[in-house]
Amino acid sequence: MIVGLPKGLLFHQYEKFITEFLKVLQIDYIISKDTNKDILNLGVKYCVDEACLPIKIFHGHVASIKDRCDLVIVPRIVSVHEKEFICPKFNGLPEMILHNIPNMPAITTKPLYLYSEKKTLAWLEDFGSMLNKNKNQVREAYIRGKEIYDRQKLGYNDKRYRRRVLLVGHPYNIDDIYMNMNIKKKLNDLGVGVMTHHYVRDKDKQKEVDKLYKRPFWTFARHTYGSCVYLGRTQQVDGIIYLSSFNCGIDSIFIQLIKNELKDFPLLVVKIDEHTGEAGLNTRLEAYTDMLERKKKNGSNFPASREHLYSM
Amino acid sequence: MYYLGVDVGSVSTDIVVLDEKLNVYDQVYLRTKGRPIEAIQRGFKQLKNKYKDKEVRAIGTTGSGRGITSFILGADCVKNEITAHAMAGVYYDKEVKTIFEIGGQDSKIILLNQGVVTDFAMNTVCAAGTGSFLDRQAERLGIPIEEFGNYALKSKLAVRIAGRCAVFAESDMIHKQQLGYDSADIIKGLCEALARNYLNNVGKGKDIQPKVFFQGGVAANIGIKEAFEKILGFEIFVPKYYNVMGAIGAALLAKETVESKRCKTNFKGFDISDHVFITNSFQCKDCPNECEVVRILDGEVEIGCFGDRCGKWNQKSHIKSS
Ligand code: SF4
Ligand code: SF4
Repeated sequence: MIVGLPKGLLFHQYEKFITEFLKVLQIDYIISKDTNKDILNLGVKYCVDEACLPIKIFHGHVASIKDRCDLVIVPRIVSVHEKEFICPKFNGLPEMILHNIPNMPAITTKPLYLYSEKKTLAWLEDFGSMLNKNKNQVREAYIRGKEIYDRQKLGYNDKRYRRRVLLVGHPYNIDDIYMNMNIKKKLNDLGVGVMTHHYVRDKDKQKEVDKLYKRPFWTFARHTYGSCVYLGRTQQVDGIIYLSSFNCGIDSIFIQLIKNELKDFPLLVVKIDEHTGEAGLNTRLEAYTDMLERKKKNGSNFPASREHLYSM
Repeated sequence: MYYLGVDVGSVSTDIVVLDEKLNVYDQVYLRTKGRPIEAIQRGFKQLKNKYKDKEVRAIGTTGSGRGITSFILGADCVKNEITAHAMAGVYYDKEVKTIFEIGGQDSKIILLNQGVVTDFAMNTVCAAGTGSFLDRQAERLGIPIEEFGNYALKSKLAVRIAGRCAVFAESDMIHKQQLGYDSADIIKGLCEALARNYLNNVGKGKDIQPKVFFQGGVAANIGIKEAFEKILGFEIFVPKYYNVMGAIGAALLAKETVESKRCKTNFKGFDISDHVFITNSFQCKDCPNECEVVRILDGEVEIGCFGDRCGKWNQKSHIKSS
């Protein structure tokens, strides 16, 4: 029995856990390669056109390993935090995959509620039964996997750069350096350090979110909105770069909410889709960095904010 | 002593020569025709007999071909188009708050406050707001593009043309033409459609404050300038060197670089026009991305590479853009 792990969507977040879990259970697994041109092309080929790029790329990852494994993990993650949800597209992911990609091996289809240990274990037990493992074995593997998961530190917090920006966006947009054309390296090369929301305290984010007239029911939004508004307001970074997926409704809403709140703070919105050209991105990042530099040089607090209306 | 600025766009390549006092002393306009290196060589050939290498104190490049041409010329400063256009606009008028730049293939808007860029946006995908769209329509109507603006001014009443997208605008225009509308009215309609399209797309959500500078090739068209004024309700200004502002900005930035670093120029000399540059491409097989890498050779010597996603080839040739 070989389990296939597609390296898309939230994989990077849970990689440590799931690989340890499978190791303890002595199950062989394969992980798809880092996103590359072939994977992107496969994704575009199989997935419906209207889907966002991360969903297409996930399709590509699944398609690239489906013939080499017996069971693919296609997580139907519903929620990672109590009373909050993640994007509804995750909800329909197993159906999309089964429907769009021919000759699929078995996949996981049960919904996954990651905020509750009990519910997570129930999912894992079900998954374990597909691997012929009993509840005790699953529990043992869960504990070991969780230990490693809890120890990991996600995100970036660059120091020692002339300028520093907060990089926000869905975790998969930030983790996948093929999709984002290694934006972190580009920024570092321009003398700009990158930090992510992981380094903003939850209570600081929460304070900003609480001021919204309605509690957002997306976990992602809490981190993104909260960290943007908190850091922008307190001017702890020189700017904010929002990596957004073309066709993502959640992004559109939160970009607007952040803009309303931060008005003149230098916010750069970078939209990515499969046609995104690298030259266009370079130009924008350079112009943005120049802007931050010159603003600083003139020692002023000139208002600044911008949005790119088009993907490059 | 001179400062050179080179703006290599996908449609046109501009070279300017600024004198000691930073006045525009000379300018060359060339069609890029997809071959930036050749365009640069043709341009420098024209300048070769007028200037000496050692009279050049600094040289800068900008535009989409800024990287490639910087290797060939030995540029002191390689800057993106936003910064270059802003630099030139502010140099001519410290009061400028907004720059509209509409070129052959793309358009941008830059907002400034006291000479510092505070906001910008670019459009590189939609043709409806660019010069090439106007060129096409001029051709269709059988009117030279230079005359376009004057035609628009003759019209009393613009024909409303859908300007959302180039394809619609074109079919709408043909339709209006068939209905027998006057050319002048159609042209005025086109100018207004383009201005509306620009403001709704590139300028969406932007607080457009006077003083507005209108730069780029399309600024030659007085019909568009008028259309903007009509929509915005205030005067907009077309600077004298509207069509080479990018190149002027590049020259000014190069001057700034050389002065702040107190270094000599890297300029390789006017006879680059006599060199034989060869570009060839190969497919890198080092990873599944299989990039099509383009390599530029000056005779036998490799002077630059680009097109690689990971930067391994580009870095090898020690080129840094920006
Ligand atoms: S949140 Fe946006 S980017 Fe993520 S899966 Fe949903 S639509 Fe796609
Ligand atoms: S140039 Fe870099 S990214 Fe492109 S194929 Fe070669 S190794 Fe891969």
